[in-house]
Amino acid sequence: MDVSLRDGNQSLWGATGLRTAHILQIAPVLNRVGFRALDYCSSTAMGVAVRTHREDPWQRIRLTRAAMPDTPLQFIGTGFRFISWERAHPDVMRLVYQRLVAAGISRFVVLDPTHDMGAVLATARMIRQAGGTEIIAALTYTISAVHDDAFYAGIAGQVAASRDIDRAYIKDPAGLLTPERARTLIPAVRARLAGKPLELHAHATLGLSPLVYLAAPGLGVSVLQVACGALSDGSSLPDASRTVANLRELGHTVKVDDRLLARAARYFDRLAAAESLPSGQPRAYDAAFTRHQLAGGVLTTLARQLAEIGLEDRFGAVIQEVTQVRAELGYPIMVTPFPQMVMGQALSNVISGNRYEVVPDQVIRYVLGSFGKPTADVEPWVLDRVLDRPRARELAAEPPPPSVAELRQRLPRGITDEELLLRFGMPGEEVDAMLAAAPAPRHYHPETQPILRLLRELGSRPPARRLVVDKPGFRLELTGPGRARS
Amino acid sequence: MSIIRRVLIANRGEIAVRVIRTCQRLGIETVLAVSAADADSVPARLADRTIGLGPAGGGPGGQGLADTYLSVPAIIDAAVAAGADAIHPGYGFLAENPRLARACEAAGIIFIGPGAEVLEAAGDKLAARTHAVAAGLPVLPGGPCGPAEAGALARRIGYPVLVKAAGGGGGRGLRVVREAADLEHAVAVASAEAQAAFGDPRVYLERYVSPARHVEVQLLGDGHNVIHLGDRDCSVQRRYQKLVEEAPAPLLGETLRVSMRVAAVALGLHLKYQGLGTVEFLVDRQRAAFWFLELNARIQVEHPVTEAITGLDLVAEQIAIAEGRGLGLSQASVSFDGHAFECRINAEDPAAGFRPSPGTVTGVTFPAGPGIRVDTHIQGGSAVPPRYDSLLAKLVVTGADRIQALARLRAALARCRITGVTTTVPMLSGMVDDAEWAAGGVDVGWLERYLERGGAGGWGGAGGWGGAGG
Repeated sequence: MDVSLRDGNQSLWGATGLRTAHILQIAPVLNRVGFRALDYCSSTAMGVAVRTHREDPWQRIRLTRAAMPDTPLQFIGTGFRFISWERAHPDVMRLVYQRLVAAGISRFVVLDPTHDMGAVLATARMIRQAGGTEIIAALTYTISAVHDDAFYAGIAGQVAASRDIDRAYIKDPAGLLTPERARTLIPAVRARLAGKPLELHAHATLGLSPLVYLAAPGLGVSVLQVACGALSDGSSLPDASRTVANLRELGHTVKVDDRLLARAARYFDRLAAAESLPSGQPRAYDAAFTRHQLAGGVLTTLARQLAEIGLEDRFGAVIQEVTQVRAELGYPIMVTPFPQMVMGQALSNVISGNRYEVVPDQVIRYVLGSFGKPTADVEPWVLDRVLDRPRARELAAEPPPPSVAELRQRLPRGITDEELLLRFGMPGEEVDAMLAAAPAPRHYHPETQPILRLLRELGSRPPARRLVVDKPGFRLELTGPGRARS
Repeated sequence: MSIIRRVLIANRGEIAVRVIRTCQRLGIETVLAVSAADADSVPARLADRTIGLGPAGGGPGGQGLADTYLSVPAIIDAAVAAGADAIHPGYGFLAENPRLARACEAAGIIFIGPGAEVLEAAGDKLAARTHAVAAGLPVLPGGPCGPAEAGALARRIGYPVLVKAAGGGGGRGLRVVREAADLEHAVAVASAEAQAAFGDPRVYLERYVSPARHVEVQLLGDGHNVIHLGDRDCSVQRRYQKLVEEAPAPLLGETLRVSMRVAAVALGLHLKYQGLGTVEFLVDRQRAAFWFLELNARIQVEHPVTEAITGLDLVAEQIAIAEGRGLGLSQASVSFDGHAFECRINAEDPAAGFRPSPGTVTGVTFPAGPGIRVDTHIQGGSAVPPRYDSLLAKLVVTGADRIQALARLRAALARCRITGVTTTVPMLSGMVDDAEWAAGGVDVGWLERYLERGGAGGWGGAGGWGGAGG
């Protein structure tokens, strides 16, 4: 299974790298590689499409589905929010899943960061009723005193018992899983899954996952999640081509079209070069990483945010603060939305210099229990400091999130369900701007980007009488209007 | 459903390039079957691989069409040797040949086109006429005849009548007869011509309608569901060869347009049509009436004008149907946006009765820009062999409406430069300035009349077109 379009883009390109045209151009090829499914979309990615690219995320799903009819497209979510970080009414989530199925999503990850299986089962039921055909539960891996093999085996047992969950995967967002741990963890989980397939999704952040992937098939994992070309490695997932080659070297059979796999990788490589996006590189092991456990996407987002406010030199300090905040907040597993929450608090603490002076709403909500019970208790002094402020009292008194019927009353009459959901999750002016923009282009050729950029630049400058492009082995000189020679 | 991974393209020229382009976009490997004369062609260089057709050592001059692009065994052998899952036949050559479709089936290769039964029904013009009647389509008064019955049938139909070959089209075996005295001779000549061209002497009569327009409806079906992809006007013809096409057909009237589309879909459903096909109609301008002409069971040369206004890739649709996916589109999901023209740029000399002008292309400049698409297989240095079709390129121009498209077409034609061989570009440049054509809705006789009067700008005059076309 390939994750380039969603997790690759999120981990390495801050979720903002890929546009509709980038995806549609390679979709028919990805469709024919032979992937089990594609990790395709999240509500965050949908928000980015609107906010950053002014592109309709629903239309993007429909067009991708048409260009890629054979390979199931996956949506990943927690089941309690859509684009906005605020909790959504179950009614709203039901409509989200219905619209996603109608647009062409068939496979859904249910992911609860606190492993609240009651919430997971309820979300799975909701997705099944909305028409989702494959529902996969995330067993989110982390290192802590409570997260031992028996803990994950217990969750696997509940997955096995659910009629609404078809399979499970071990999700290692920080790439912490070692081959040694895999040898006990995977069999323990498999033993309780009652034959439901097990997949593995381990980020390459520490360089461990390519080794884990060699061991996993022999331990009973049937699907390995990988990424292609520039969107693999680094804080993304292991490279598909290398994983396939390594597995075959060990005698496993992998049914993929190698020619097309190479072509997809080459496409993302060229796209990265054309758009000046970083290419994932194999990582060396970093022992300190096991303390902060931040996934790749969060790290790139942090680096970008710090650069935007001119504080790139505080990167190390923020990471250090993350470790401490995470401990004080009761060791939340570092998967969405908790890394963003912990990071937001750490960033506030570092910028203000007075810890917990400024507390983001997400942290207040977490402490109030809006996301379920924290895995361990919040430090009492932190609890007091967070809750002893007017904003905490406001949020505690907050009315429940609006239902679909309430949203219909509040939002403009006659809008589609898709637009209603976007307006629920985002500021109205972002949605207005998207609707006012021209439809997203559908074709993209990395090779033509440099010349298009040159033409755009030329068009934006005052007319010049003479233009010379001079480089080794090539000289182009354009002189005066209407006269050209090369 | 069976996914196609490698396709053999059993054609040459611009349609080979066209099919390669879609296959590459879809990630399907292309193997181009080539004659020795085409081994260095543009499509041969664009394809992932090529495989030679015909006897080894034939040399550029030593291979006939019968050994290469028209040989069913040669094409099947090439596909098997190349390990192709499917054959795309393009248009012309073996595209509508039921023997190729059957041979594919026997060899376990997917034929990208309708099944052999439909190809037989469409290829035999009398059978197609019978199916059209069964599907409720209007056909012209007429029917099959031998020399003995022709007189009585023609009297019943009323003169003038058209003598047509049952075995094939393309203008061969076709005769207009205006009075009874000429009928017997015309039937005999047409029958002999049909025997020579198609190996089938059968002819039939139909009422000759003039003036009339040629309007066709694009069909797409999966054997169960059939939809239309709009209409095209192909009335600009010379000796039954189309030169300029446009979509949608202009000045048709909504009732007539809808009726033709409904009729075409009815025929498709009647035949359980699978793949891409075109139902051709003759349209009487004055009476706003239409009659079934024939069914072309393949991709048409002029398909880009439909692609331009629907935003669809018709080759990709063909492949999807051939893979057994079923129709991915509903009629409601097909929308039409704008207006498109296609000009066929041929290596022919209009001043010499459109005599083919083979040779070597020394230089080519095509226009580019918004709404301009050029489907071609030539570049500087390309050979234009004498034995093949003279089509060099198709200039396809799209605009928000017919007026904008026409303005773009004129500008685009003015920027076409092909040297080394004589082409139809200058003639087309003159033609698109003609007020009668530009107004839209000319009949199939218009081009001949235009050429007879020397064109709007006195085309054909000495040296008038030398610059761009020489």
